[in-house]
Amino acid sequence: MHFSVSAGLKAVVEGLPYILGGVWVTLVVVAGALVMGLVLGTFLSIAHVYGNRLLRMLTGIYVWFFRGVPLLVLLFLFYFGLLGALHLDLSPFLVSIVVLGLISSAYQSQILRGAILSIPEGQLKAARAIGMSDTKAIATIILPQAFRLAIPGWSNEYTIIMKNSAVTYALGVAEIMARANHVAARTYQHFWLYLLAGFIFLALTYIGTKLLSLLQKKVAIRGYAR
Amino acid sequence: MRETPVLEIKGIKKRFGDKEILKGVSFALNRGDIKAIIGPSGGGKSTLLHCINFLTLFDEGHVYLNGKEIDYTNKRELYAYRQKVGMIFQDFNLFDHLNALQNVQIGLVRVKKIPKAQARDRAVAELERVGLKEHMDKYPAELSGGQKQRVSIARALAMDPEVMLLDEPTSALDPELVGEVHSVIQKLAAGGMTMILVTHEIGFAGSLAKEIMFMDEGVIVEKGPPRKILYEATQARTREFCDKIIHFHRGGDESR
Repeated sequence: MHFSVSAGLKAVVEGLPYILGGVWVTLVVVAGALVMGLVLGTFLSIAHVYGNRLLRMLTGIYVWFFRGVPLLVLLFLFYFGLLGALHLDLSPFLVSIVVLGLISSAYQSQILRGAILSIPEGQLKAARAIGMSDTKAIATIILPQAFRLAIPGWSNEYTIIMKNSAVTYALGVAEIMARANHVAARTYQHFWLYLLAGFIFLALTYIGTKLLSLLQKKVAIRGYAR
Repeated sequence: MRETPVLEIKGIKKRFGDKEILKGVSFALNRGDIKAIIGPSGGGKSTLLHCINFLTLFDEGHVYLNGKEIDYTNKRELYAYRQKVGMIFQDFNLFDHLNALQNVQIGLVRVKKIPKAQARDRAVAELERVGLKEHMDKYPAELSGGQKQRVSIARALAMDPEVMLLDEPTSALDPELVGEVHSVIQKLAAGGMTMILVTHEIGFAGSLAKEIMFMDEGVIVEKGPPRKILYEATQARTREFCDKIIHFHRGGDESR
């Protein structure tokens, strides 16, 4: 099969609506994973910073595990291994969100942990000194600052999860990569379709990081540079 | 009948590892009393103030507010007690993400559960009291050290404390900013506030406090009226320290 620009572009144009349909799937998977990662990661980071020795050890093991095992291994382990063992029937789509969310929570917990530790300790003391419980002080004084400090780290985490979401095609999730693959298999225009998939991911990571840097400017504390 | 002290501490002991920081400290404050604690760094002054507020937990000893012993393991009791005992820190510890007004307001809203509008009025009044009403929209990073410390005083006052603990309130300030904080503290004193002041500014301590306690190596070595402690101390350690620091203060303008 010879290399033909016109045939490639034709395949791209014809396949585009179908492949763009996968953008929504990708966005839902990524957003779901990031939100789940944020919620879990927040609790993990608090446990890691303020918890007792046992909690710190447990969060440490959790983070070690989910940072150390490849995404594909975890996807297969959960979808083909764990679901069967537990007699559960979840869609690949849901399993992908959960697995990416668990991995992201490990990373986000470390982003937030760093952010929390960079806030001067005296602020927690001052909050206690006016009669706040630790829970209230963490919620009203520490986390609002930690979330602001975590935005650059999140920007990084967003691009990683966005790119890694392509791996979920291995479970049959109809996201960008899976759809590009379908069209390529039908038209034999692999180069052009993977290039298209690459550009779509590039656009998505670009837009996302831009939005996060706008958010960072919007919530910046006046006069505050660190 | 003897007056019940507002605040009384008995036999406070604290060790960090092998080092005994506080070796049994006791004293009492009646309403309106102002006591200053002076002494060399590492003598336990700051730890003592933190222990009084249970920000540092001590190993032995008792703390009483208005005659009632505080049980810090009872969280509700601890939080109520801390509202009654205002704490001023050396490095201000303002909440960086809140402006001056919100720094003062947050305790009223989140701890005292006062409605927001009412809390705002109170916070504005407290900022006015420390002369910062016109700066209430500024964030900590936009305030000078002296202004930050005054906001932190307003934040403590908003909780209606019965006692204020001031831990070297001006030692992190540039010399030209010390005066504005001192004058706020003097105003509190004139208003009858009960205070414990840890400081290296012995001139200020002498003019403000009825009693100065000299603390070294975890014990109160000597206490008495300012004149006696500063100039006629009976203990050699006290004399040595006061001589040095008085000489130092008179010695030159470049040093504090």
